[in-house]
Amino acid sequence: MSAGEETFERVFWQVLNDLQEGEAKPIESYLRLVPREDREELSLMLADVLLARGPASAPGAAAGAGYERAVSIVDEVLGSRGETGLLPGALKAMRKARGIEPEGVVERLAADFGVEGEEGRRALARNYHRLETGRLLGSKLSRRLLASLAAVFDVDPVEVRDAARPASQGPSLQSVPAMGRGAGAGSSTAARPSPERLPDPEVELVERLFHGGPDA
Amino acid sequence: MAQFDPVEERAVEMLDDLELEAVRAETVPHNDERFEFVLWVLCLRGVAVIERVCQSRGKARGLDEQEIELAIEDAAARMLLRLSRLDPQPQIHALAGQIAAESVDRAWPSQPRAAKLSRRPPELRLVKGLDRAIEKGRVRPNDWENS
Repeated sequence: MSAGEETFERVFWQVLNDLQEGEAKPIESYLRLVPREDREELSLMLADVLLARGPASAPGAAAGAGYERAVSIVDEVLGSRGETGLLPGALKAMRKARGIEPEGVVERLAADFGVEGEEGRRALARNYHRLETGRLLGSKLSRRLLASLAAVFDVDPVEVRDAARPASQGPSLQSVPAMGRGAGAGSSTAARPSPERLPDPEVELVERLFHGGPDA
Repeated sequence: MAQFDPVEERAVEMLDDLELEAVRAETVPHNDERFEFVLWVLCLRGVAVIERVCQSRGKARGLDEQEIELAIEDAAARMLLRLSRLDPQPQIHALAGQIAAESVDRAWPSQPRAAKLSRRPPELRLVKGLDRAIEKGRVRPNDWENS
């Protein structure tokens, strides 16, 4: 069988499969996949198939509300890909579906890392919010933070780690630790500790977890 | 989502599950817009399975409509996480079915749960002179048959 015949056959069976799955695309899109000289023959064969199947059901009739919601979740999560990959969107979607408040996640993280003080918890809440809104760098998240998040959401840590890889076309961001360590001139002055105040060790720990890199 | 050559898009859409997984495995390390499109096509295939499995399994396990929808959303998000992995993955239909089943099997908020004992300590109050009153017959202990 020549390559052209093979393509022809494959496209034909693909149309049948798609029709069966209810996922058929416009016929022109299939015709474009075979060489020009084969298009007439394929269109005649497909016309026979469609004639035999009878009229199609109303558009959207097969797609239930659940399907539509799932597609919109996928669309939302993919649309939010950025410097933390698709992790922020996925975490938010899972959290909402499971009815977990952000405070619930923060509580679990605080327990995992022994953060008990008010300042440390505030830093955790602030950084988790930044993570969920895609404002952190995936490459700066520590492995132990990712492992803890995986435990909170009951998923494999490898998935969380791989999902946090920055998208290569994402918006360019700078990591801005709230403690001001290594921050450039554009960093927030409000987040910088006053010179006379020693940094809270718990806040420092939280900043390391979210901004210190994989080994922090 | 980024725009591509429509022929290339169509070619990706026409791939079967095995071929599509191969393209995913090839593009996932780059994590670029082409990978995003492959992920989108994979997810569209997976979502149909997720919906079917969550509906049937959810009903069988006594979940109500809202819980089934939440399980579907949860599974959709988990599928995206899973497809971000760098290592090879099973065919999307099998993977989506597995994830959907796991999502349904989670404890959903309104599912009936086993009764729990209250942590609250019982509030007991000592009444002075109660023992004497019982002795004298002024107060009788509770009798389930009469009270």
